[in-house]
Amino acid sequence: MNHVAKQPGWVGRQFNRKEDHRLTTGKGQYFADIVVPGMLHLVFVRSKHAHARIKRIDISAAKAIPGVVAVVTGEDIRGAIKSLPQPVVVPALPARYPTFWPLAVDKVKFNGEPVVAVVARDKYVAEDAADAVEIEYEPLPYVGNMEDALMPGSPVVHDGWENNEMFALTFTGGATPDSQATNDAEVDHLITSADIVVKSRYRVHRCGVTPLEPRGALATWDDADGMVAWITTQRPHIDRLAMSDVLDIPTEKLRVIAPRDQGGAFGVKAPFYREPILVCYMARKLGRPVRWLETREEHLMSVSQERDQIHDLEIGATKEGRIVALRDRGLADNGDGCEGVYWGYLMPFLGAALLPNAYDLPKCDIKIRVACTNKAVLSPARSFGAYPTRFAVERAIDRLAHRLNKDPADVRRLNLIASLPYVTATGVHYDSGDFLKVWDYLIKTIDLPKFRAEQREAWQRGHYIGVGFGVGAELSGVASSVLVPMENQPGYGAATVRLDPRGKVQVFEGDAPAGQGHESSMAQVVAQEFGIHPNDVTVTHGDTSTTPFGSGTIGARAGSYTMSAIAMACRVLKKKIARVMAHDLKLEADPDDFVFVDGNIIFTKSNNVRKTFREVVERIIMAPLNLPSGETGGLEYTAFFEADAPMICFSAHAAFVEVDANSGQIKLTRYVTSEDVGTVINPQIVEAQVQGGVVQGISNCLFEQFIYDDNGQQLTSTFENYKLATAADVPSVEVHHEAGTPCPHTPLGSRGLGEGIPGPVPGALTNAVCDALKPFGIEIDELPLRPDRVWRALKEANRPAAAE
Amino acid sequence: MNKEISITINGEVYQQSVPIRMLLVDFIRDIAGLTGTHVACTYEGVCGACTIHVDGEAVKSCLMLAVQADRRTITTIEGLAIHGKLHPLQKAFNDHHALQCGFCSAGILMNMAEFIRTNRKPTEAEIRNALVGNLCRCTGYAHIVDAIKEVVGDAGSTGAVHQ
Amino acid sequence: MYPAIIENYDAPTSVHDALQALAKRGNESYFVAGGQSLMQAIKARVISPKSLIDLQHVTELKGIEYNKGAVRIGAMTRYRDIAADERLDGAYQALRDAARHVGDRQVRNRGTIGGSLCWNYIAACMPPTCIGIGASLDLVSRAGRRSLLAEAFLQGPLETARRDDEIVVAVTLPAAPMMCGSAYKKWGLVNDALPVVGVCASVELGDDRRCRVARLAIGGLATGPRRAEAGEKALIGVSATDASAISNAAETAAASTETQSDIWADAEYRKKLIETLAREVIATAFARAERGKHS
Repeated sequence: MNHVAKQPGWVGRQFNRKEDHRLTTGKGQYFADIVVPGMLHLVFVRSKHAHARIKRIDISAAKAIPGVVAVVTGEDIRGAIKSLPQPVVVPALPARYPTFWPLAVDKVKFNGEPVVAVVARDKYVAEDAADAVEIEYEPLPYVGNMEDALMPGSPVVHDGWENNEMFALTFTGGATPDSQATNDAEVDHLITSADIVVKSRYRVHRCGVTPLEPRGALATWDDADGMVAWITTQRPHIDRLAMSDVLDIPTEKLRVIAPRDQGGAFGVKAPFYREPILVCYMARKLGRPVRWLETREEHLMSVSQERDQIHDLEIGATKEGRIVALRDRGLADNGDGCEGVYWGYLMPFLGAALLPNAYDLPKCDIKIRVACTNKAVLSPARSFGAYPTRFAVERAIDRLAHRLNKDPADVRRLNLIASLPYVTATGVHYDSGDFLKVWDYLIKTIDLPKFRAEQREAWQRGHYIGVGFGVGAELSGVASSVLVPMENQPGYGAATVRLDPRGKVQVFEGDAPAGQGHESSMAQVVAQEFGIHPNDVTVTHGDTSTTPFGSGTIGARAGSYTMSAIAMACRVLKKKIARVMAHDLKLEADPDDFVFVDGNIIFTKSNNVRKTFREVVERIIMAPLNLPSGETGGLEYTAFFEADAPMICFSAHAAFVEVDANSGQIKLTRYVTSEDVGTVINPQIVEAQVQGGVVQGISNCLFEQFIYDDNGQQLTSTFENYKLATAADVPSVEVHHEAGTPCPHTPLGSRGLGEGIPGPVPGALTNAVCDALKPFGIEIDELPLRPDRVWRALKEANRPAAAE
Repeated sequence: MNKEISITINGEVYQQSVPIRMLLVDFIRDIAGLTGTHVACTYEGVCGACTIHVDGEAVKSCLMLAVQADRRTITTIEGLAIHGKLHPLQKAFNDHHALQCGFCSAGILMNMAEFIRTNRKPTEAEIRNALVGNLCRCTGYAHIVDAIKEVVGDAGSTGAVHQ
Repeated sequence: MYPAIIENYDAPTSVHDALQALAKRGNESYFVAGGQSLMQAIKARVISPKSLIDLQHVTELKGIEYNKGAVRIGAMTRYRDIAADERLDGAYQALRDAARHVGDRQVRNRGTIGGSLCWNYIAACMPPTCIGIGASLDLVSRAGRRSLLAEAFLQGPLETARRDDEIVVAVTLPAAPMMCGSAYKKWGLVNDALPVVGVCASVELGDDRRCRVARLAIGGLATGPRRAEAGEKALIGVSATDASAISNAAETAAASTETQSDIWADAEYRKKLIETLAREVIATAFARAERGKHS
């Protein structure tokens, strides 16, 4: 199961994480552990209504409670804080951007929107005061259905907008209306003339990947030195720019620190949110440290909601099962759309761009519309918009296979991209990989023919078992060519590598991990390069004062971009070290003639000619005399890595289920993945990413759902109602990455894999259930995948067929 | 409104006057300054990140008031290793990469430390069931289960159990 | 998130002292047993008690006693201890089934049977189980004692027959006949979740090994826990091997129970769940009765 590369050095080798000691002995340094003397506690009063005008706010009782320092409303801050959108957090895409402040102004647009902020010396008292705030609302009609929201005559969420459409785009057929019309007509013709057409509506519910640690912000202000803000963020450098613009704080006086330890993020901590803005503002206004620590309830009410898309998808195919054309009309429910950087719609945007997935689909017509409703805005979640589009395509392929009476595995293989690089019909570039090799490895591992025989025998006994498949061609980092247009932010990876006179290394990088183990895997990369031990390498991240600019821990950037920058910086320094060594030893040598191994630097042409790594490093830093001409002393380098083209990683999943045909209960019996992660840096970390990502995908598909009732009341704001999978609900995943190929575009051959793992899961699970129930002819196209849905489908299937 | 209480945490006595409404987890984190015990849900007490031992038994410290722990003995994650010697679970978690972000880990370690003391040879299903009260978002639980299996394997064969 | 101000906290060590504290603190006070449900409500500020009377140190309320087959379970007995007590097997094994799966093991280390019954939350296991096995509750006040059948004690959701001046001190069970067995099972979306539906079955067999007395109790209902009398009737005279009669009884129990719709299951699927669970627990209860273990 664990494929450990048999090569010397640290890349590909098991290395117990350095982070673990502090994290298993209670010495982690998470946001809530940071205490600043005199810090005040800020609590939000959040809207009880989904859509309402604010008539009156009475803060007098709240202010009168001893220990309460300040109470602010939207009216108090609307003149003092710049509203969003601000350019630094607006993508270069044609969408409509709602104006908003950190507190509601004029009206509230979702159940949970912050309306009032209370600051007190004690956090319990702050809550007492929040309870004492009185707000009078005039309810407005609730816009809760994305299709209705886009109908003419629907109540409008944003004042001044004539409708609720926030974004709409055509992803295929080129850039002009004419070229798109031509493409659409061609796709239409191909579909209408195809041997077989599969059309259905696929629907994925509102769910996301909420991290175990909620959000927080703590800001201090000094009139001379400015602001220090600790924020639970994946993107400290971006937050710093945004906060500077919104609050008019000169950037040189603003330091943003992502805490050294963060309890998970998964995208949820990537946007530029309302709350940290207000916290920073209050710290400056009061001249005292202010801290907001989110409760789980606040969190589930206002963030972590993603997916929630409808796709009317049609595929036309030959009778052999080869898809000739695809047409998709997608819809997304974006809530109130108020969120810096992502604005909620970037997820359905990317999901649509990635819709073709790993399939060879040159003829596509893909369009989406994104609607505003009276719900919390969508926040990024692992798989970033593609969970629903993956589901739609995987289900469509299985439907096609059923219609043709072929094995869905065979139909899938027939349509997989056979050769890379490849550019999708939506213009997404897939750089490298061998999808068929990875797929075939999966099929071989699960011994599909044997399972099919077992399945036939089981059906005879009235026992319903099935297998389902899903694949994912997922982002491996995000190149500037994608990130600049998408988010107005660069994609390069950046790292400073600093050697010290004792031969030890410090790495500085500006991203902010939340469990990915970067302190260890990055140390492994450096150790490999310099021939030292990972324990001799420390990594500092997340502090805008001490690290180079990084776009953040998003889209699997670390494994692909940041690691690459680290490797590059090491190699520049190695060349310098080699040059100096050659010069000192009066050797005719190129830098490539030296190997760095086991703490030594050895001349390859004569193994006796060697020095210790430490002595050469010390000499260059501390005794920079008689250096080769053109060289200076010192050993520190900052490298920036940009990939030639956007990169991907690929995985194929197989899920096995047992379904009780009487009650619809589903039992997940086995889950297998085959991954192409390129060069593996730390095998355990790679495997763990897959275990965690698959379980998130399973939990989303089967258990989690954000539910708003008919009045827009959010019913799922505790873990009692928003249910995450427990250990007893899931199996261990069998993870294989034997069939990978090194990425030719990164120095290490590594691929970032964390982002997209949940994507193939809902297709695999739902396909497995439909496969198990194939004797009944069940097709399920809507999530969540619950026993009652299965049971209903079975009841429908048992009725006499209606006249066609 | 306030009450004078005395709680022993990791062998050290904390005597303090506290508001009756103060949660035990807040006493541990804010008064005793032991921040290894975490809070990850609001009032529902479902996530288990706050799990500690009260008189050796695993309980959720967010569902108790500090005054309820008066004259009782608490062990938190900071007290699991004794004199710097890691508990076998702590070591196994490192060996098996049983944590990623680590936010749930203290609660799991404290829960499992009691579980393996009272269940010498649990099956995988029993281990998974014992973990129902600890939510983990990062790991998918697989490596956590592996780590625990290794420890109970050892405990089962040698009969020696730490703490 | 945090409780509202609580003014008083008492930790009596006897029932007598607990009653005294109750009298002193008046009716804005709450008893706290294990606190696994009550603390949720207090932290959510759904209730804001002025005083708390903590029963965790009242030893006379803890423990399970057996006297010639009759069982007396102290109200403060924890799920953990009920789950471990094999002497309950057979006639009263449903209690162990339920106790073993409440919440999670941390909850079971604190939560109590008395607390669960007094709280009578819709999604709880002890209420339907105690009704299903024919348990009674002993209540004590300064004025005296009384005993109520569980089904009389448990009313609508969050409502019980306990008067403001009473403490539940024990759950009692009569000595069970020779061939008696019970079982409980619940369904929730994830493992050991709060029950969306929970069913308890108890059967007593005659010498002919046919069911002589049957009790079926359903939990998870908006009405509060209920017996399914129609289902019980359908079990009279049935033997353990009669799968189709058991199935029929389960269907009858489901059909005759008024169910509600919520985010977990609609009314129709709830009936399906009741039927599926009932079929299983009835069969298990029969099997346990056949083994004829004494309680």
